[in-house]
Amino acid sequence: MEIRALLSALWRNKTGPLLVAAQVALTLAVVVNVAYIVRQKLEDANKPTGLDLNNTFWIATEASTSDYNYPAAVKADLTYLNSLPGVVAASTINHVPQTFSNTDMPFAADPQTLLNPNGGIFGTLYFGTDELIDALGLKLVAGRNFAPTTVRPAAADWGAAMSAWAPEVIVTRVFANKLFPKGDALGKTVYTGLINKSAVIVGIVDQMRANPLPSQYDEFATQIVLLPIITPGPDGHYIVRAKPGRRDALMAEVDKNFADLQPGRFIERLEAFDRTAEDARQGYRASAIILGVATFFVVIVTVVGIVGLAAFSVASRTKQLGTRRAIGARKFHILRYFLVENWIITTGGVVLGCILALAAGVQLSGMYQIPRLPLYYLVGGVLMLWIVGLLAVLIPALRAASISPAVATRTV
Amino acid sequence: MLIHDLNLAFRSLRRNPVLSALMVGAIAVGIAASMIAITLYHARAGHPIPWKEDKLFAVTLDIRDDEPPQSFERHPEYPPFQLTYRDARALYPSDIPLHSVMMYRSGQVVTPDNRSIKPFSASTRVTTADFFTMFDVPFIYGGGWSRTEDDAPGAVVVLSKFMNEKLFGGVNSVGREVVLDGRSYRVVGVIAAWMPRPKYYDLNSWGGWEIPEEVFIPFGWGRALKLPAHGNTSCVSRTAKIDGMDSLYTQDCVWLQYWVEVRNRADRDRYQAFVDNYANEQRQHGRFPRKNNNRVVDVPTWLAMWDVVGDDSRMQLALGLVFFAVCVLNTLGLMLAKFLTAAPISGLRRALGARRVDIIRQHLIEVIVVGALGGAAGMALTFGGLASLKVLMFSGRLAHSSNPDRTALIQSFVHMDIPVMLAAVALSLLAGVLAGLYPAWRIGRLAPATFLKTQ
Repeated sequence: MEIRALLSALWRNKTGPLLVAAQVALTLAVVVNVAYIVRQKLEDANKPTGLDLNNTFWIATEASTSDYNYPAAVKADLTYLNSLPGVVAASTINHVPQTFSNTDMPFAADPQTLLNPNGGIFGTLYFGTDELIDALGLKLVAGRNFAPTTVRPAAADWGAAMSAWAPEVIVTRVFANKLFPKGDALGKTVYTGLINKSAVIVGIVDQMRANPLPSQYDEFATQIVLLPIITPGPDGHYIVRAKPGRRDALMAEVDKNFADLQPGRFIERLEAFDRTAEDARQGYRASAIILGVATFFVVIVTVVGIVGLAAFSVASRTKQLGTRRAIGARKFHILRYFLVENWIITTGGVVLGCILALAAGVQLSGMYQIPRLPLYYLVGGVLMLWIVGLLAVLIPALRAASISPAVATRTV
Repeated sequence: MLIHDLNLAFRSLRRNPVLSALMVGAIAVGIAASMIAITLYHARAGHPIPWKEDKLFAVTLDIRDDEPPQSFERHPEYPPFQLTYRDARALYPSDIPLHSVMMYRSGQVVTPDNRSIKPFSASTRVTTADFFTMFDVPFIYGGGWSRTEDDAPGAVVVLSKFMNEKLFGGVNSVGREVVLDGRSYRVVGVIAAWMPRPKYYDLNSWGGWEIPEEVFIPFGWGRALKLPAHGNTSCVSRTAKIDGMDSLYTQDCVWLQYWVEVRNRADRDRYQAFVDNYANEQRQHGRFPRKNNNRVVDVPTWLAMWDVVGDDSRMQLALGLVFFAVCVLNTLGLMLAKFLTAAPISGLRRALGARRVDIIRQHLIEVIVVGALGGAAGMALTFGGLASLKVLMFSGRLAHSSNPDRTALIQSFVHMDIPVMLAAVALSLLAGVLAGLYPAWRIGRLAPATFLKTQ
């Protein structure tokens, strides 16, 4: 093959190829890093929650008069909600999961640990009744649910609720294994810092991810402690799980009747749980789409550049190519010439691009606190650009190959 | 002459419609991508109160236990961003600042007089009196309250413009009564349209991309009514004992925003010394176990500490600029190819007496035409892109809110203001010049004879 002729031809007209190589380099750097970040974001958005989002909704009530009798109301509300046909389970809850609002406390298997610097492991607290697990749709994998008798009635305020605490707790498997690495958490006592309380782990649920946190904070979303405590008032939060297909009808019914069941309060919010979860993820999805679309266009622009350069190079060499054909070069040789020429240009760009991509990757991993760009992303990016480059050059190259030898005999 | 060159430019563009369209398209896409990124970045990177840069300072105290940093802490060197009640109280009497404010965000239920409006919840700022003067809050009616109404709290309230419209139809409501959580307060002031972006005085919710509170009441009510803190509450000390709302007033939990306004930077330094001195005294009593790391910071530093701009905006900006570079390179290549293809014409013109400058100018004009067309198309793409971004990024938050302030806040994220628009024009010209200068120079440099020959 006429590699040397090809290289010397390239060298004599180097501006165009250099520009294309520079584009390829930048494109590679963008594509691999954005692909990595986008995947990270989509992963963050799509992690399983362990919650039955599709059949659940929540209600927030607020008192409108100071004589609103919350403890009585909450009792009646729970009875009402659980008696509605189509309701699987309804419970009070202190914070609605997926709203980025939560209370965290340090926990430990040994109370002494809590006194050490950074001692204890943070767990997110969810308070509810013995219906809480069912209302959230969590799967109990060991032990039992709360005994109805242990459920603490609504206390006067948060202070009273915290000091009353609860005799038993249910934790997520992740948290159980973190507190008791031997895997024997069930039946053990777990201690809570700041308030100096303890409780026995009576059950372990499979999985719950409270909030779609970025991956580097993911552990904080899954370390969860459930307690049989009815949230103190006067603001109420209820989580209600419906039988499949019944949720929307139930929400309509609640919207109509629920507020007026008790005097002195109103519904502040009534929302489908999947909607809440979707809103919490909108940021991830939006930025994945923005970055993805922008990167797609970067690739398109680069393809245009490659096509443009190749077309120009074909057009300006028409006569020369005709001559080559006239003295015996086959169509295939011409085609191959352009493909190889383009491949060399792309490869030059790719080599530079790898360096840029790695440099950008280091920068980004510092910024987003994510692991370094894995090398297979780079390999994938290089392969993609090679293929895209060859495809882009194919049409001009085919046109070059079809130049008739007769052109050589004409003047331009 | 210019008309002639423009004429030539359009003629040349028409000769190669596909190539011309590709060049214009590439510039347009490059401009749009970078403009969208700049708009999004600019919306977040603004300075909300530049005229008080040397006067307004956020106060933080490093009260943390002397523990090694947790792995997830991005800036373990920063002190907690809020103060404990005890420390805020201790700093408050200082007469170095002109104004001092301690405050927090809470929420209350408003019961309108008008029975046809149902009770609804409102965000409340529980603050000391200087808030309004310190942050230059504009009033339509009335004003704030005096310091004497802070401690034995006066039943007075300041309303946001929207709240006044909702409750009183926008009329002067000063002197009227508003019922919050069943207790009656007298309106002393109504704030005019006011939306610091970000909400720098309290960056707790949505990273500061939140609207100001709807009602403002004196600080003393917080404790009297046990109004909960809607924001971050962090019990920084291992010895803290949490026992309900009262613990916030007795324990080492940080939950209050604290700001001072001083006369000048020299007073800031004096205040810093005062704060450090306070920490030293407290250290004698076993608090503040770490070395002094108390920061009295101006607004830009404060925003940087909170990172209100955010990684995503920075990433988008970088991507937008790389995108722009790719488009410029691309156009440069295409332009070069186009000019060289048409070189024989230039050769002919040179041979017929055109000077080198004429050729270069003619090509530059062509380049500028391409840049301008690309810029115009890019501007259209930018507006379209920003409109779709608004839906893509904020439809969830928009759907929840009937408050026009919140809609306006979201609109402001995708709003292209005059400076950004001027930047767009400059950028498209820059794109044209960057992409066209070399090809025009190169074509002008060629000896005419080269191109009068055949290939």
